[in-house]
Amino acid sequence: MTEILRLRNLHKSFGPLEVLKGIDLAVAQGEVIVLIGASGSGKSTLLRCINFMEIPTSGRVFLHGTPVGRQTSSGVSYVERELTQIRARIGMVFQHFNLFPHMTALQNVMEGPRTVLKCSPDECRNRADNQLRKVGLEWKADAYPSQLSGGQQQRVAIARALAMEPEIMLFDEVTSALDPELVGEVLITMKELADEGMTMLIVTHELGFAYSVADRVLFLADGNVLEQGSPPEVLTYPKEEATKNFLRGHSSFRLPEPQLD
Amino acid sequence: MGYQFDFSAVIGNWKLLLIGLQNSIILGATCLVLGLSLGLIVGGMRYMRAPIVNWPATAFVEVFRNTPVLVQIMWFFFAFPIISPVEINAFTAASLGLTLNTAAFSAEIFRAGIRSVEKGQWEAGKAIGMTYIQQLRRIVLPQAIRRMLPAFMNRAVELMKMTSLASVIAYGELMHKAKQISTLEFNPIEMYTVVALIFFALIFPLALFVQRFELKLKDSG
Ligand SMILES: Nc1ncnc2c1ncn2[C@@H]1O[C@H](COP(=O)(O)OP(=O)(O)O)[C@@H](O)[C@H]1O
Ligand SMILES: [Mg+2]
Repeated sequence: MTEILRLRNLHKSFGPLEVLKGIDLAVAQGEVIVLIGASGSGKSTLLRCINFMEIPTSGRVFLHGTPVGRQTSSGVSYVERELTQIRARIGMVFQHFNLFPHMTALQNVMEGPRTVLKCSPDECRNRADNQLRKVGLEWKADAYPSQLSGGQQQRVAIARALAMEPEIMLFDEVTSALDPELVGEVLITMKELADEGMTMLIVTHELGFAYSVADRVLFLADGNVLEQGSPPEVLTYPKEEATKNFLRGHSSFRLPEPQLD
Repeated sequence: MGYQFDFSAVIGNWKLLLIGLQNSIILGATCLVLGLSLGLIVGGMRYMRAPIVNWPATAFVEVFRNTPVLVQIMWFFFAFPIISPVEINAFTAASLGLTLNTAAFSAEIFRAGIRSVEKGQWEAGKAIGMTYIQQLRRIVLPQAIRRMLPAFMNRAVELMKMTSLASVIAYGELMHKAKQISTLEFNPIEMYTVVALIFFALIFPLALFVQRFELKLKDSG
């Protein structure tokens, strides 16, 4: 098992508010980790510290064993150039898709390879075609985001991140803004990605999905990892009272297995 | 009433009017180009947080937006030369007033346009590894400028109308020529009617175009 990402004693504060209180985490190549926790527990902040959308207040991030930033006497100092390169290696998908509205689906997916990686036009086109095909939207290549459904927009956003050929993918509640009938197509796309061996960190409230794709589930509470383990360990047989309460809230009403054939 | 309209003196002076029209357009075009360029710079300064940059830009915008253009033009023609080491002719004074006024308004258009782009757009660019400049150039400005265009075109319309104010300091634009002709020929009714028509013919198509363009923007979302 090769380690791809490690967080060591990661802290993040916004002014007086301490959101992450010393996170330690090692992620193996190809591992799928699902983060769950109440709203405001710091899940988004944790993801955003991993690709330096937010700069950690203290602690260290290691990629393939190499620390990001330079240790100085007054803490870790970061150079914007290095952070830009790190972000290019880590894909991120947002709750609200954030597709570029002035570009077609194809142009959205080509933008990273073109502007950031400076690929040749042929290479950009190739990558974009491949990724759009992978999310099943090559037939929408020339559509603008406003002409796509929410589920399709989110799949284009996934393709846009994948076109950078990232080493890790971060997903922050990517189905929360979708109509219920569009959630499935996005989850299936993510499941396929997981099956191909992509390393993924996923924040989601879709616990059934978490159960079936996660190698490991982390329960975050109050800026700490309160409990972690395999999906059955955390989702079926939680030990901590906070985890139990959280799960109670998420499973008050359940459908017996629908008979669909 | 029984007033007999007589346009012969207007037609007889058509060369003079043409020169006036030409001067109006030169003044308007000069101030538009200079005003927009300066506005981009001032707008950028207002977007920055450092007080040493932000404060002068804010002061500039507020002063020029909240005083009459006529006062600005008169000030640059009658007051400024006293403290300025260089000679100020009517064209320079009018250009200064109108350019700075246009810059102040367009600075606000630039700033509002960039702010109107959602934070998620910057973030999406950043997340694929774009630098700040790349985010601005590839993602934010293309969206912002589309939204700013109608406002800029309205500025151009306003500016064209304001050029007539330069007549008060005897810059030889259309209005000034008309005043000269009507004093000599005693035909203010005919003369100013024609001037109004010329301005209308010049500005109305521009205004129509802006309206069309705004509708088109709305349709394409
Ligand atoms: N940029 C920010 N500035 C100030 N406070 C923030 C910022 N981002 C998040 N927070 C605060 O940090 C806490 C954790 O937020 P977040 O990581 O978004 O939680 P979650 O994703 O688990 O709902 C919240 O209290 C939130 O208000
Ligand atoms: Mg969140």
